[in-house]
Amino acid sequence: MIKQATFYKKRIYPLLFMFLVTVICILITSGLFLSTQERATANELSFTRRAILDAGGLEYTPTTEGIEKTYKEKVQVEDGGSYYTAETAEGKRYILPMQGPGLWGTIAIMVGLEEDLTTFSGLAIVSQNETPGLGGRIEEPWFTQQFQGKKSPFTLVNEGTADAPNEVDAITGATRTSEYFRNLTNRASTDAKRIIRGE
Amino acid sequence: MAKSKLRKTFLEPLGKNNPVFVQILGICSTLAVTNKLQNTMVMVLGVMFTTALSSWTISLLRNHIPSRIRMMVETMVIATFVIIVDIVLKAFYPEMWKQLGPYVGLIITNCIIMGRIEAFALQNKPFLSLVDGLASGLGYAYVLLAIAFFRELLGTGSLWGYQILGSWWTNWSIMIMPPGGFFVLAIFIWVIRETIMKEEKA
Repeated sequence: MIKQATFYKKRIYPLLFMFLVTVICILITSGLFLSTQERATANELSFTRRAILDAGGLEYTPTTEGIEKTYKEKVQVEDGGSYYTAETAEGKRYILPMQGPGLWGTIAIMVGLEEDLTTFSGLAIVSQNETPGLGGRIEEPWFTQQFQGKKSPFTLVNEGTADAPNEVDAITGATRTSEYFRNLTNRASTDAKRIIRGE
Repeated sequence: MAKSKLRKTFLEPLGKNNPVFVQILGICSTLAVTNKLQNTMVMVLGVMFTTALSSWTISLLRNHIPSRIRMMVETMVIATFVIIVDIVLKAFYPEMWKQLGPYVGLIITNCIIMGRIEAFALQNKPFLSLVDGLASGLGYAYVLLAIAFFRELLGTGSLWGYQILGSWWTNWSIMIMPPGGFFVLAIFIWVIRETIMKEEKA
């Protein structure tokens, strides 16, 4: 009888206890996950659409509804999502999702091109893992907005000195990230010509 | 009597038993997230939430947890709270989650949380454990925020993302890179131990 009690206490009880704790924890987390999933997916979608609008240089009200409205009115998905097009007053825009290596991980961006597929209409960062405060500054508006109206291929110049239509500011203290970013954006034009016109 | 114990539980982690500069716990995250005040703030709020509530939960269960599997139970509880933080951030503050996603997962590995459970929550009542967890989180928080203040200011000339110092300021890039964290943390510990803690001893 005593032996049976210790067997229960030493073997069965810990197992049951752990099982119970695990079940409760999983119930809590998966319940919370499922109840917020719709919201999270909507956020994700809105984020991608906002990047497309930014890249295409389109004006929109910066709310979830505003993004949704402009996106539905102006943007067409082409070729099963490999690129997007948008009609604007200044002509047709082509928006291309791209990704490439960065210093620490993959950098994913949306590149907006004008009809010649060489001039940038805009650019937006979708995801990046560069050093916060250094390479991470590629997300700052001054950096992404400088590509607007510039012609690729680009050359990097010191921060704050870009002047010619093919020059872009590098980020001081983040030379490698800047170089990776230049390589990525310089591929945009050839990629776009291949995907859109089959050249 | 009870009141003085509560007071002691709350004040010790803030001063002479501080998790960062006395126990030297949680150093990995101290170095990783202190290069910008905003990131630091989210990290410390997450840690405070997790330490307080997991200490409380474990303390509630403390008489039922078989001691040989207590670590598994502790990890499970901590992980659950961290995932809650992650899910809530993702659903309600997507912009912040985008920036801090990787850091939030790191809260699980913060040694302060498990340290407080092992050292305190397993022997004390739930409310006292909650206070201890919260105070440890606070002790961690103010040290990290102080370090982040100097790193962001010297490294980028700004605070909370706003430019403070003018264009005459040359950014000390090393401050926002990992070595900068070591320098500032070491100087911080040195200053505290040479001034405040020395007086206490004497």
